[in-house]
Amino acid sequence: MSAVPSELPVQADRRRGGTSRRSSRRRREPMRVAVLTCLALVWVGIPMWLLVINSAKPYTEASHLSLSLPKRWMLIDNYKYVIEKGNYPQALLNSLIIVVPTIVVVVLLGSMAAWAFARSRRTSMKIVYNLTVLSVLLPPAVLPTVYMLQVVGIDGTRLGYFLVMTGTRLGVVVFLATGFIRAMPQDLEEAAAIDGASRLQIYRVVVLPLLLPVLLVGCIILIITIWNEFFFASFLLHGSDSATLPLALYQFASSSADVAAMRWDLIFAHVVMTSLPVIVAYLFVQRRVVAGLSEGAVKG
Amino acid sequence: MTMKIQPMVDNEAADPSRKAGRQRLRADRGSPRGLHRHWWPFAIPAVALTWLFFLIPFVLNIRFAFTQWTGFSDVISWNGLKNFRGLIDQGILWKSIEVTLVYAGIAMVIQNVFSLGMAVLLQRTNRINSFFRSVFFLPVLLSPLAAGYIWSAILSPTGPLNNAIGLVFGNFDYAWLGHPFAALASVAFIDAWKWSGLVTLVYIAGLNAIPDSLSEAAVIDGANAWQRFWRIKFRLLAPAFTFSVVVTFIGALGAFDIVQATTQGGPGNATTVLNIAMFSQYAGGFFGTASSLSLVVTILVIALGVPLIAFLRRREVEA
Repeated sequence: MSAVPSELPVQADRRRGGTSRRSSRRRREPMRVAVLTCLALVWVGIPMWLLVINSAKPYTEASHLSLSLPKRWMLIDNYKYVIEKGNYPQALLNSLIIVVPTIVVVVLLGSMAAWAFARSRRTSMKIVYNLTVLSVLLPPAVLPTVYMLQVVGIDGTRLGYFLVMTGTRLGVVVFLATGFIRAMPQDLEEAAAIDGASRLQIYRVVVLPLLLPVLLVGCIILIITIWNEFFFASFLLHGSDSATLPLALYQFASSSADVAAMRWDLIFAHVVMTSLPVIVAYLFVQRRVVAGLSEGAVKG
Repeated sequence: MTMKIQPMVDNEAADPSRKAGRQRLRADRGSPRGLHRHWWPFAIPAVALTWLFFLIPFVLNIRFAFTQWTGFSDVISWNGLKNFRGLIDQGILWKSIEVTLVYAGIAMVIQNVFSLGMAVLLQRTNRINSFFRSVFFLPVLLSPLAAGYIWSAILSPTGPLNNAIGLVFGNFDYAWLGHPFAALASVAFIDAWKWSGLVTLVYIAGLNAIPDSLSEAAVIDGANAWQRFWRIKFRLLAPAFTFSVVVTFIGALGAFDIVQATTQGGPGNATTVLNIAMFSQYAGGFFGTASSLSLVVTILVIALGVPLIAFLRRREVEA
């Protein structure tokens, strides 16, 4: 079927169609903003308010889960408790020393491989590419991973978890960047080769800078998913010494749940502290994140 | 910086492929000087890591699913379909498949309907829309666990949702997470809530890739806004639609975090998705049966993902 319905009568007056559409848009704008504001309040505002405000209440007040301001502020005490008893500093450190190297390694090795996959014309490389990007859609098998790490003797360690994170996330970056490079003209790389640049130089000086937009999108996806990763962490990391933030949050919430009712005041304080680093980072680069993602790294 | 400059001509003369002329040269682009013949050194580090920590475990899992492997013995031995029979006898297998499929279906539908609507509302890039896009993106940043805790508070019998309903209908203390179907729908909703901000951006990208001229032509032809959306934009949105539906559905088949934070599989086993069942087998020391359940997730992803992609792709060609 053709995209434009052909049975409709053609109106000759282009101008009129244009202006009436524009003016109706202007008339509807306040209504649209009102609808959006209500939606944003219900969808994001209330959950966030509930979270933050109850993290500042004493235990009994927070257990009512109301949206009102605290009658007695316990902000500092609650957060202090989380930092002291919630394994927060250690978990923050663990998260950082896992997430940062993972992202650096995944982005560098992934983009390098993507360049090779995009430019090589060998069938063998195509097969290897397809097997590698399978990891984008297929769920990773966690038990054999545990088994393999046990065999090597790094089961339960941060090193093992870092390696698994790297191995399971590379596919995304390889996939995004290969598509991007394939759509990119080769002239610059050829010119650099003719000028005598080595291939590592070409990668570093020519390819990598051109890849920045797609790598930014890749980084955002990686930060969001690895910082919040809980599934593998609950299989691969043991005890509180190697726990990442989500694991520490879960351990904290589960242990505080033993006491009659949920300690919403403390759980929420931990949730805020766990989410804070990513949210603060987001506030700084927010415009580029949303613009980068909505310009679309996705091409079907 | 010193660079070895070699005259281009020498190399081409040395290259026998030159005889084949321009066509051949174009086919070999990227290796104009024979320098670029081997690409594998660049691919090897990434490939090695991916194969070691994704592909090999993935293949091993197919074997482990059919073995007797427990935490109580070092021996891993082949036992055929016994794991699966055991899971069926305990009423775990079919129930958890059903729960997983319902969960994924609900999460996928909510996410795509909501996100498509939001994308239409926020399509044009201006100051107001950028602000709202950022706001609706916030839940994406939270960990699924955090989302789970926030919503189990909102949905608790004395929580804000019931209070709001109570304002209209009088005293209301329904336990959303305490009734089998309501609990399953609620956790699937939380999943959708957490991810819709991202799916919205995918749809915005898709909408903005459609040339304005088509809509304008349709306006001239007298199409109303409704027709313009369903007959033009929605059809041309097919690639973004395929991507979002597939990713949200397949993603939800692997659900774990949100359920763990809210219901932990309960009430009863109403929200025991496959990965939750797998984790409890693992925690009980039954690694073999856990592998079997993990294999079921893989089979579901392949058995449903591939036809889904094929079906949605065909729709793209049509449009």
